[in-house]
Amino acid sequence: MATRTPPRFVIRTLVATLATVAFVLSAVLLVVTLNVQKSVRDGVGDRLETARRLLDALEERRAHELHAQVAMLAENPTLKAAVDTYHTELRTTNQAGRLDLLATISRELDKLATRIQPDVLEVRSASGEVLGIAGRRAGEWPAFARVNAPPQDAEGSWVTTDSRIFRLASEPVVLQGTPLGTLSLASALDDRYASEISGLSGVQALILSKHHVVGSTLPSEVLMALKPDVVGAMATQDVITLAGSDYAVRPLMNQGGAQVFVLDSIDASARPVMAGARRTIGWIALGAFILAALASVWLSRTIARPIDTLSASLANMTQTRNFENPLTPGGDVLEVDALTITFNTMIQSVKAAEEERLSAYVGTIRALALALDARDPYTAGHSERVSALSLAIGRCLWLDDTQLEVLRLGALLHDIGKIGISDHVLMKPGPLTGEEYEIIKQHPVVGARILRSVPFLEPHIPIVELHHERPDGKGYPHGLRGTEIPLVASIVHVADAFDAITSARAYRPARAASEGLRELWRCAGAQFDAEVVHALAKALPDLDRSTASAESMPRFFPVPVAVRAVRA
Amino acid sequence: MFSRVRFRRLATPLLVAGALAVLHIPDVRAARVSGRITGVVHLVAPGGMPLRSGAYPSRRVNPKTPEAPEIGNVVVFVKDAPTEQELTATRASITQRDESFVPRVIAITRGSSVEFPNFDPYFHNVFSLSRALTFDLGRFRKGEKRERVFPRAGVVKVYCHIHSEMAATIMVFDHRLYATPVSSGSFAIDGVPPGTYQLSAWHERIGETTKPIKVVAGEDASVEFSLPVVEK
Repeated sequence: MATRTPPRFVIRTLVATLATVAFVLSAVLLVVTLNVQKSVRDGVGDRLETARRLLDALEERRAHELHAQVAMLAENPTLKAAVDTYHTELRTTNQAGRLDLLATISRELDKLATRIQPDVLEVRSASGEVLGIAGRRAGEWPAFARVNAPPQDAEGSWVTTDSRIFRLASEPVVLQGTPLGTLSLASALDDRYASEISGLSGVQALILSKHHVVGSTLPSEVLMALKPDVVGAMATQDVITLAGSDYAVRPLMNQGGAQVFVLDSIDASARPVMAGARRTIGWIALGAFILAALASVWLSRTIARPIDTLSASLANMTQTRNFENPLTPGGDVLEVDALTITFNTMIQSVKAAEEERLSAYVGTIRALALALDARDPYTAGHSERVSALSLAIGRCLWLDDTQLEVLRLGALLHDIGKIGISDHVLMKPGPLTGEEYEIIKQHPVVGARILRSVPFLEPHIPIVELHHERPDGKGYPHGLRGTEIPLVASIVHVADAFDAITSARAYRPARAASEGLRELWRCAGAQFDAEVVHALAKALPDLDRSTASAESMPRFFPVPVAVRAVRA
Repeated sequence: MFSRVRFRRLATPLLVAGALAVLHIPDVRAARVSGRITGVVHLVAPGGMPLRSGAYPSRRVNPKTPEAPEIGNVVVFVKDAPTEQELTATRASITQRDESFVPRVIAITRGSSVEFPNFDPYFHNVFSLSRALTFDLGRFRKGEKRERVFPRAGVVKVYCHIHSEMAATIMVFDHRLYATPVSSGSFAIDGVPPGTYQLSAWHERIGETTKPIKVVAGEDASVEFSLPVVEK
């Protein structure tokens, strides 16, 4: 099964924050889009409503002005004279005379029309007979087809045909209180009028006559989409769909088949607003993503860096087994600091346990050595003394703490191999036979074998195995020479010999230190390492000064006088 | 074409008048034993629905003198009276006062002249579009007057270019058989040759109302008109 390497913490924080930011921004964009659409719809509606009110007022004014204009024209003396003369003389003339009189009226109408350029200017008698007509759109005027007189509406009225809508203002022609007829001024509601409305209001305009388009400012493709059902909907609905886009629409006028609408495309109005909103949100998104990325990197670093430091320190500690330096809390994150402190506490207890283990181990070794020494009253305290001597020599040789520790314990155990030697050989009062001596010479190897079974005693094996090797190669068990022998082994060799010389034996009394030292000097270089002997010589005065302590008490035990060659 | 029409218009009454003149020469002598038409004109409310007052709001802007009685705007005349070749020209006057022609209706014989003195402190004008006589006397100030001879019979309406409410009617006759009622409505036409005639009462608003009448030499033929005219 392949184990997957988990992603770094910063990746997780980046993914989480960026996903959150993206989600929030998407929601904001959605809400903004909906809001913009709604407010644009409302705004277009308001604009249309404003345009409608404005144009209503304008229409009223326009109707009023048209009426004022026709009222003015109805007072034209020549026109009145022509109409009045027509009426006066109609009774006394024939058809030719009538046409003559009508020509006079037409001439006067034409003169007026030339001056004011109306769409239609018409005068008819009180009985409804058309007397004359003039104007640019006189040809489209449906008056000749109509029987009834135009409505006498002071506010203005409307004349509607399939292709045309006219706004109409009529005024009676009165002479001295007698009505002579009616003068009508009409202006067409066409494309020009639509573009005028559009120009004033800023929105589109549409003019329908009996559901036919007679004037508009809409593009032709939109007009193509203007089906009868859409036209029907326009009168009742606020929003209609034309050629795929929504239009807000308001009726401006709806009278007798004539309909005027103002309308505006919602989509066209929303487009610039939406573009602006998207641009703004885009910038905000960019900023938010950058900030979120920076923040998540920073946050993950506050968590990950102390943890990295912590785990690196722990790895280092585990590797070097150096638990002396406690970890320093980073001070950035409370939880990480708590973790660091807990680690330190744990390390402390681990360290305590380690020390306890070490002291137990040292105690065991010491017990072994003591048990060994206790077999022979002459060697009682020997291992302790050799250990102390070796330490003193080691210090003179500037050995480091680790080597001194190895030396101390190794010296304590150096004769552990003698466990395997039977008492009658070991404590034989007389001289040893060659065979017995060979048995004695086996003790370093036996000791080394014993130590090999205990893993943590491994550093001390060389001392136990090699503490009888001599620089001249005549030592045992391997006959190593000079620098082949480890220094610690040489030290223990010298210390062992010195202690043996200065201790009493069954066959001889104890000799003085100076004598022992002389003896050692004599054999230095061949039997003993000269450098070590020199160090012993340096170390001895210090050692003597400190031997008042209980540690060196065995030296003053009562020693039986016996002479015996010590080759231990 | 215009002149031909004009010629035909003029030719017909002239021929008729000429024929009558030739046929009735003995009657001219008999005119000395002619009859008289007397009568009275009543102005009554029209039979139909009276016109709603204010239906056409007055656009009159200047205060005016009270209107003259409508009876002054009535002319009674013999419609089919023979044309008289020799008529003494008279001189009538229509004043322009308070933006009105006063009187509004006058009757004159052919060849007579009418003068238009201006009594208002502003300019006035006199023009006509009538077929009997089309003219424009131009504008003139207070104290000045314009004069015009009416050489053809017919109804001539005159107006002022400056004031559109001003209008007057001048009835030009080929004979003397017409009269204007006095304020009581009574009138008399003297010197009517015996015979049967159509007698018309004319008012500017309602036009002619015609009645047949028989005139006997030396006697008064009496007639009564009821015209549907309301006073303003």
